[in-house]
Amino acid sequence: MNKLEFLTRLRNALERGGLPSEDINDALSYYEEVFLDAGFGKEEETAASMGSPEAVAANILRESGINPPVPAMQRRGAVPPPQPQQKKKSSGGAIALSIILGIITFPIWLPILIIVVTFLFVAIVLLISLVIGFIGLAVGLLFGGVAALIHVPSVGLMMLGAGLFMTGIVILICRPAFSAAIPACGRGIKRFCSWLAGLFKKGGKENA
Amino acid sequence: MGFSINAGLLDAMVLSIVQNSDTYGYEITQYLRKAVDISESTLYPVLRRLQKGELLETYDKEFMGRNRRYYRITPKGNDSLEEYREEWRSHKKKIDSILLNEGAENHEQT
Repeated sequence: MNKLEFLTRLRNALERGGLPSEDINDALSYYEEVFLDAGFGKEEETAASMGSPEAVAANILRESGINPPVPAMQRRGAVPPPQPQQKKKSSGGAIALSIILGIITFPIWLPILIIVVTFLFVAIVLLISLVIGFIGLAVGLLFGGVAALIHVPSVGLMMLGAGLFMTGIVILICRPAFSAAIPACGRGIKRFCSWLAGLFKKGGKENA
Repeated sequence: MGFSINAGLLDAMVLSIVQNSDTYGYEITQYLRKAVDISESTLYPVLRRLQKGELLETYDKEFMGRNRRYYRITPKGNDSLEEYREEWRSHKKKIDSILLNEGAENHEQT
């Protein structure tokens, strides 16, 4: 920006601000002098050091008690109240978006849910079948032991012993396993469900 | 430097520069730049304010075929500058007492 451009823009801005022509001429002669004193080859540099002519003009106008930029700022200041409403609107949009996202990602989260449920089911079935297997083995050994006791006492005793051993193991496993594992599974499922519900509730609260 | 210069201090510095010798806008800015980072666009409103408050007055002097506006301090400006200087002395002392730990006991150092 050269001297002429700077001074022209400054004059326009000051006129727009409604500064008395006497004051405009005073300001322009001052700035013209600055350009002349800075040197002919330094017009661009001088203009750059002073910032935009409009900003310079705003400064002069403010100092003169004429404040055209301030009403604009106040108007801008009056704008913020509607902004929370806009935020609410966007949060409503966020709820809709999360629902839409939930529907769109349905193919992703449904298989995951199925996998989790299946895993839990398999674990429970495995535990139960293991226990049943042990019970069967113990019962078989006990009955077989009683039967063998008559024909081959030593084998019968061994089988009875093994059967009692297995029964003991079954009882040892079953007591803590069934008294702890089943309620634990129940609690786990409950917690998982409430966690899922909490997710939706929280999401709702955050968006509200 | 990170210390900001307020309007009052700037007025006082300009008055002091003009009191030393009548001078013109560009030169005042060059003087001020030794101490603070300001531009001509900062100085003009200051000069205008001082002029309107009748602390400074202007006259035109011919220089290389054009008129250059010189600033001269008024008696009112001189009074005002004395007040500013007094205020600055006490202000500086208070700041120094905290910033430089210049309490009453080591006052002889200053």
